Amino acid sequence: MTKRIGIPRGLLFYNFFLLWSSFFESLGMEVISTAETNKGILDKGASKVVDEACLPVKVFYGHVAELAERELDYIFVPRMVSIEKGAYICPKIIGIPDMVKANITAKPAYLAPNLNMREKESHDQFLKEIAANMGKPLIQVQKAWRSAMKVQQKYELDLLQGIYPEKVFLKRETLEHNGDLNILLLGHEYNLYDDYINMGIRKKLKQMGCNLMTVNQVPKYVQQLESRVLSRRMFWTYGKSLLGTARYFRELPGSKGVILLTSFGCGIDSIVGNMIIRYLGKMKIPYLNITLDEHTGEAGINTRIEAFIDLLRWRRELDEDNISTYGKYLGSPQRYAGIYGS
Amino acid sequence: MGNTWVALKGMLEYMGLDVVVPPPSSKHTLNLGVQHAPEFACLPLKINLGNFIEAKQLGADTILMAGGVGPCRFGLYGQLEKEILVDMGYEYESLMIEPPDVSVWQFIKRVKRIVGPVSWWRVIQGIRFGYHKACLVDELEKLVQEIRPREYVQGTADKIFAHSLLTIDRAKNIPDLYDAFGLAKQKLLHIPQDTTKPVLKIGLVGEIYTLLEPFASLDIEKKLGYLGAHVTRSLYLSEWIESHLLIGIFRRKAKISFCDFANPFLNHFVGGHGQETIGAAASFALQGYEGIVQVAPLTCMPEIVAHTIFPRVSEYYGIPILTIYVDEQSGEAGIGTRLEAFVDLLQRKVESKTQCG
Repeated sequence: MTKRIGIPRGLLFYNFFLLWSSFFESLGMEVISTAETNKGILDKGASKVVDEACLPVKVFYGHVAELAERELDYIFVPRMVSIEKGAYICPKIIGIPDMVKANITAKPAYLAPNLNMREKESHDQFLKEIAANMGKPLIQVQKAWRSAMKVQQKYELDLLQGIYPEKVFLKRETLEHNGDLNILLLGHEYNLYDDYINMGIRKKLKQMGCNLMTVNQVPKYVQQLESRVLSRRMFWTYGKSLLGTARYFRELPGSKGVILLTSFGCGIDSIVGNMIIRYLGKMKIPYLNITLDEHTGEAGINTRIEAFIDLLRWRRELDEDNISTYGKYLGSPQRYAGIYGS
Repeated sequence: MGNTWVALKGMLEYMGLDVVVPPPSSKHTLNLGVQHAPEFACLPLKINLGNFIEAKQLGADTILMAGGVGPCRFGLYGQLEKEILVDMGYEYESLMIEPPDVSVWQFIKRVKRIVGPVSWWRVIQGIRFGYHKACLVDELEKLVQEIRPREYVQGTADKIFAHSLLTIDRAKNIPDLYDAFGLAKQKLLHIPQDTTKPVLKIGLVGEIYTLLEPFASLDIEKKLGYLGAHVTRSLYLSEWIESHLLIGIFRRKAKISFCDFANPFLNHFVGGHGQETIGAAASFALQGYEGIVQVAPLTCMPEIVAHTIFPRVSEYYGIPILTIYVDEQSGEAGIGTRLEAFVDLLQRKVESKTQCG
């Protein structure tokens, strides 16, 4: 009999779903995932967690609550402490398995291995915990992980080329973009790709004739390099990629603007977002900061986006000759080191 | 941060530096901070920024700021504050002290860079002196917490404590320090007290800044004391220095690690004091405390994790837990009412227990 494992569609789902699903499938399990976020799921989640938690956590709770009622063997809620050396993800994501266990009693067992690559870049401990939990030989688990990593690399390459996650694993068509404005949509993946949380902002922008760029379309090493301007090491993986992407974006030619999607109460965005805003202000790049929570009305967002796009177009008419003479990426950390102080 | 300045000032003056202590945090400080800090940043950042601006107006030219390596936001405070101050046109030289997670020597070197041409021996003595001050201040504070609910005239202990802080601050060497301490302790012990009064024991847990800085927490500790509760905090400055800064130097092990008590509920470090909060609540419950109050700044990530897990702790140990988030919008009266209701609830619970059995 094949075992069934549920993966909730929230938080790091859009980063790692393909990795996890192909990993468990090659271990001979059936992978079940929840439906896309909707009002029912959000309400269910918000009723189970404290009010102060941020929107993505509430959505995650909703998805776990969905899975908790199903006939499954496991629910996969990994504790992602760190996915690269010397950096963390986010305190709430570190605590999420314990939070979920404290608030949702589920029929299936929680499978919550620790992934901590802060000290040493290795998955061994993580795989050992999974192997011990499921009673499978370690060799088999490692083999499955290696093949799953290949799928993940392919997925990251796809994202880099501007293909969206829903096209990769939902096989759903996305709108082509061939607009005249370059918009950088900055935000964590769980805000960017969950169309319920962000109220379909990507579709709206494309319909208004914008070329979208997201954090996944900038190579990791560029982000790493660009975020080194800080005198202190940035210890959040996703904070680093936001900052790096914003700094990379300023080098691109054409008229452009930045839309910052943050969720209310996000600790990382409160610091990194503010740094980015200060930086963009100095660079004279227009930005729009949208804060998402469970009460946001769609009309308000529409108005703000429309006004922002109008402003960009109007600005472009004012200075038509403002075209970059480089047309390619010339950034280096030394060049801008003065901006943030040393 | 509360009485931290006494210890830090002692340490730096011992090394021969000129120290500017910003005025105690006030509404004005907070307003300055709120005006310039990001909206969703937590309360400590806003107050902190206000402090720096006020210190600048008093003539300070170097910021001494602690740093961290994550995952709590606190680690990037220094960076962001520096940028905000530069944008405002304030020229500061800023120096970060980080917990010596890499090596002790690195930490000492950093201190050395701050103090300049002073002998190493003097630096170490300075740190030791500051630490002594912190320990003695904490001992007095624990005594005050014990006396507060029992004294006949409310506020006597606090007045004496405020005065003794000044005398301790004036002490320039260790014998003077112990004289000041002994005098203050004598004074406190002579306060007339009602020893027969039943007193509740309440554990105060939460985020370090709101625990140590009375302005940030709107004097929750004092309020609970006057309502008739003996309050014990999960964190005292000297213990924090010991566990975060000195462990490396003296190779001492922390006496009690609250993290051990967090075991079934929260098994992993979540940054800040999230795990300690859970552990401290569990250990207070085991020690027979009647209730727990958690204070944290709004949007504090580790404390939200702890708050989410508290229902399970509360159920397991049968101990009521009240969570209070503070931010610049918090009103004195609202918090007062909540605390009164909570203390009433605890008193009822104790009474019904004694009546039944």
